[in-house]
Amino acid sequence: MASPDFSLSVADCPLIQIEGWDGTLGQFEKSLSALLGTKLPDSVGETVRQKGLLVIRVAPRRLWLALDDGLEAPSLAVDPDLGCSVSLGEGRERFRMAGAHIAPVLSKCITVDWRAPAAAPGRAVLTSLHHVPVLFLRTGDAACELIVPRSFSRSLSDWIADAAG
Amino acid sequence: MNSNHKRLSIGGRIDREQPVEFTFDGRSLIGYRGDTLASALLANGVTLVGRSFKYHRPRGIFSAGPEEPNALVTLATAGRRQPNLPATTLELEDGLVAESQNRWPSLAFDVQSINGLLAPFLSAGFYYKTFMGPTRRAWMFYEHFIRKAAGLGRAGSGHDPDRYDISHAFADVAIWGGGPAGLSAACAAATAGARVALIEQDFLLGGQLLAEQSDSAAAAWLRQAEAELESSETVTLMKRTTAFGIYDGNVIGLVEQRDPSNPQLAGEARQTFTMLRARSIVLATGAIERPMVFSNNDRPGVMLASAARSYLNRFAVLPGKKIIVATSNDGAWRAAFDLADAGAEVIVADVRAAPSTALAAEAGRLGVVVRAATRIVDLNGGHAVRRATLNGPDGQPEAACDLVCVSGGWSPTVHLTSHLGVKPQYRDDIGGFVPGAFPADRFGAGSMMGTYSTAGAIEDGHRAGIAAAWFCGKSMPVPAPSKLDLGETATALLREAPSIGRGKAFVDFQMDVTTGDIELAHREGYESVEHLKRYTTLGMGTDQGKTSNFAALASMAALRNATIPETGATTFRPPYTPVAIGALAGCAIGHHFKPIRRTPMHDWHMANGAEMIEVGLWMRPFFYRQSGRDSNEAYIAEMRSVRQAAGLMDISTLGKIDVQGPDAAIFLDRIYANGFAKLPVGRARYGVMLRDDGIVFDDGTTTRLAENRFFMTTSTAKAADVLSRLEFLLDTAWPDLRVAVTSVSDEWAAMSVAGPKSRAILSAAFPVLDVSDAAFAHMGLLESEWQGRALRILRLSYSGERAYEIYVGATAGEQLWSRLLEAGRPFDLKPYGVEALGALRVEKGHVAGPEIDGRTTLDDLGLGRMAGKRTGFVGDVLRRRPAFQAPDRQRLVGLECIEEGKRLRGGAILFLPGEKPYGHGRGRVTSVTFSPERGHYVGLALLAGDVASEGSEVVAVYPMKAETVRARIASPVFLDPQGERLHG
Repeated sequence: MASPDFSLSVADCPLIQIEGWDGTLGQFEKSLSALLGTKLPDSVGETVRQKGLLVIRVAPRRLWLALDDGLEAPSLAVDPDLGCSVSLGEGRERFRMAGAHIAPVLSKCITVDWRAPAAAPGRAVLTSLHHVPVLFLRTGDAACELIVPRSFSRSLSDWIADAAG
Repeated sequence: MNSNHKRLSIGGRIDREQPVEFTFDGRSLIGYRGDTLASALLANGVTLVGRSFKYHRPRGIFSAGPEEPNALVTLATAGRRQPNLPATTLELEDGLVAESQNRWPSLAFDVQSINGLLAPFLSAGFYYKTFMGPTRRAWMFYEHFIRKAAGLGRAGSGHDPDRYDISHAFADVAIWGGGPAGLSAACAAATAGARVALIEQDFLLGGQLLAEQSDSAAAAWLRQAEAELESSETVTLMKRTTAFGIYDGNVIGLVEQRDPSNPQLAGEARQTFTMLRARSIVLATGAIERPMVFSNNDRPGVMLASAARSYLNRFAVLPGKKIIVATSNDGAWRAAFDLADAGAEVIVADVRAAPSTALAAEAGRLGVVVRAATRIVDLNGGHAVRRATLNGPDGQPEAACDLVCVSGGWSPTVHLTSHLGVKPQYRDDIGGFVPGAFPADRFGAGSMMGTYSTAGAIEDGHRAGIAAAWFCGKSMPVPAPSKLDLGETATALLREAPSIGRGKAFVDFQMDVTTGDIELAHREGYESVEHLKRYTTLGMGTDQGKTSNFAALASMAALRNATIPETGATTFRPPYTPVAIGALAGCAIGHHFKPIRRTPMHDWHMANGAEMIEVGLWMRPFFYRQSGRDSNEAYIAEMRSVRQAAGLMDISTLGKIDVQGPDAAIFLDRIYANGFAKLPVGRARYGVMLRDDGIVFDDGTTTRLAENRFFMTTSTAKAADVLSRLEFLLDTAWPDLRVAVTSVSDEWAAMSVAGPKSRAILSAAFPVLDVSDAAFAHMGLLESEWQGRALRILRLSYSGERAYEIYVGATAGEQLWSRLLEAGRPFDLKPYGVEALGALRVEKGHVAGPEIDGRTTLDDLGLGRMAGKRTGFVGDVLRRRPAFQAPDRQRLVGLECIEEGKRLRGGAILFLPGEKPYGHGRGRVTSVTFSPERGHYVGLALLAGDVASEGSEVVAVYPMKAETVRARIASPVFLDPQGERLHG
């Protein structure tokens, strides 16, 4: 859906999850940082962008690597003694939302304070939409994304469209 | 139309340029924008507005706010019907249609007012004493009639035409109450730099200031504060918004009414339920005036003194011309003076011996007659009060009146502070309960804290606003607040005792609880306030006893010869005021009632004749319409297709969990009752998990993809529970294990090809793969790629036939599904739905949800040998407790229907032949199907072990359809017990 004040589009979401083991987390992060060629986000909710890749810390030991559309997934050989990785790109979809009305629309959808520092551009928040776990990504002053499970995608996009209507 | 003959020609906060038409009990009336329904009714001279709950006594408008116990109406406009709404809180809008309640055939003539004559029999505890006999079941007979007679308004049963919304809001400081304290707090907190949400249930800000004259200093102060807040970018003014509860984490439940005067909002939600999360809260909820207790104190025309002043000054309504103001404190004198100033004849009956000279002097100036040490003992009048009997130094003179204003002091509104466990504390100096100690993030201000002067409330609010902002780290300098001194004299309060004449003296108007009821409860031993509440129903109406609680406590304290704090207070619980269910549901109705999960093949199913069924949140094909004329015919045809050729089933709904890490095998060994550590790479194994108490939790297969990596599947229903359980165990029980568990349920589209021709179909679909038995054995794994996406094929069977589970990336699911159908066409491959799937597994004797129902153990299900003598897994210890070994414990058996033309039904209760079919029987049928293989109905059942011998008979009784059928106990495996078809 698209209007001058609010737009919503749905796309695939290439995504890789990487997790390190407790006890060897420092080593894991060092190794991963070298593999990706960038520093990692320090705390949960922080993100780091590296070329077409967004590194999101979704839990203390868990990171998501979200790839821009059309980008090939990097080859990540994680040392099994330090951590593991699993692809989640087939099972998630990305809702892109933008517009002047985005804050009031989102207030009917998720429990995220649009004006809080924790939801500032570049920040990520794990939350829920209609009881479904989703990842909120603030991408701009009046823009954000939600990464949602594919099986719920249509139901959730209907919900947002109705909230915007 | 009526004439607004009680409306004053000037004054008030109504807009006389905007008349509003409404109806009450069919009468068309006119009010003005800015009126409530109550003020408009009073302006039109309507004094009788309702009937009481039990005695059907006539009742009028008693208050001017949400504490209203009497004037409850039903809104019945354009298909909507909302009962029990206080007329005092309803903003008047064009076309409003209100009806009085609890009367028949009319409000003026109500047949059930005969209950008043039966009053001696209808005392507290009447139901408990009267309707319990003569037999134990007697209540079941009476209940129908009592329920019909009980209640107030009736909700509608039609579709609610309105829309409701739910939203989330955030603030640094939430301020409850838009009176002087709340406004002052909001100004201070905003100036300090905090983001403020100011919540006010009224459609105007101001609280008690609205009862001041509209050209007064109070009005000027209010205008200034309102302008300051409206101009602030960090303040959200939430008018028409009731905070109904406070919950953990400073989550405040709000219901906001749509502004009826704003035509731009016409299509918006009628009510919005908002969950406001605040870092700190200022409670400035004010205080509620108490009534006085005397005979017939419920007559229409009896009104709180503050309400009369509010109707006069805010709504320009003079509710009476001959007015008696009965009071025990100074506050009500201000109402007397204003009413007299507006032209009414006023008598003040003050129970105190010597009211202040200043008050007496002002009374003299305005012509108000003062009777000190005088109380009302009785009132006369039916549908409107006509005469009062006074008791004082002058004897018992009678005085004519058309309005009686009462004020027994004030009760701070501590309801909301109580919601999170802040106990009210009694303050003797004000004769009321105030909140106890607040936690660090909550603050109180104004009359809720016992500060009854306006000047004090403003100071209080200012301090609380600064403190609340400070708590949030906002500490910009805040100048002193604008002063406002209304010259209120100190309230000298005397706690007055009930004065009883000939009629009933009401304590709780809404629930018709009288002083006599409280005395009766005391005599019968219900002395605790909690018992008193439940025995008499005191405070259990929609008003939660806002005007009655204190008087009741005081009465009980006097009867017990105890102090009020010794007697205690009841617990206030949310909601503070009634909340419409529609508001709580918000937009989660219709197709948004719950989120729907769709498999990657959903659109194909919809386009190809699938009859869908909800399985949890998933939509799954129940059966395909081309398979038969109805579900019974279709599922049997689909079963035959699987048994004789091949079927294709969408199993994407299975829970799928990626388990990785150096300790993954150890982890699985601990969570499954059977071992996984020795499972070779490339092999799958059926596993069963137990709960801590030894009961079976879930089952599924787990495949070893690599040394440190497993692919677990769970039942559709338990997918989320299993993942949550695994995470919980890793976080709490075994944090030392290096294991990661991740749901990949949405990652994979999954489909099962089952039947004797399934291997041939697989060969045709994937010509490059070797699917021969030698290369791909039962319980084996084959990994590859398809269309550039990962492909996993597991050779597993749920139906008893040779079968393969095929997993592919979700985005390619529908493509692969179509490919398989195309490749399978020469082999007569047909899709089948969950009904056939369930039937196939019953024939094969596989357990599923109906058997793994949270009550059965491994041994009950015949799976005990899977665990063998293993130890160290979850549920290991408690599965061996003696109760689980009892010989009469229900165990899994098969049942075959042996009566021609009859059928078994799931849920049927099992009895032995000749046994009286009563009670829980010897067991129950869990799953049934018609078996094409056997030619009759077969089923799985849980049957007491001491009677479950194969070959003997049981009787299955299904009371819902009054069916009884004989069945023979058999092995639960009805088909291919040797498992030859798996390899066929």
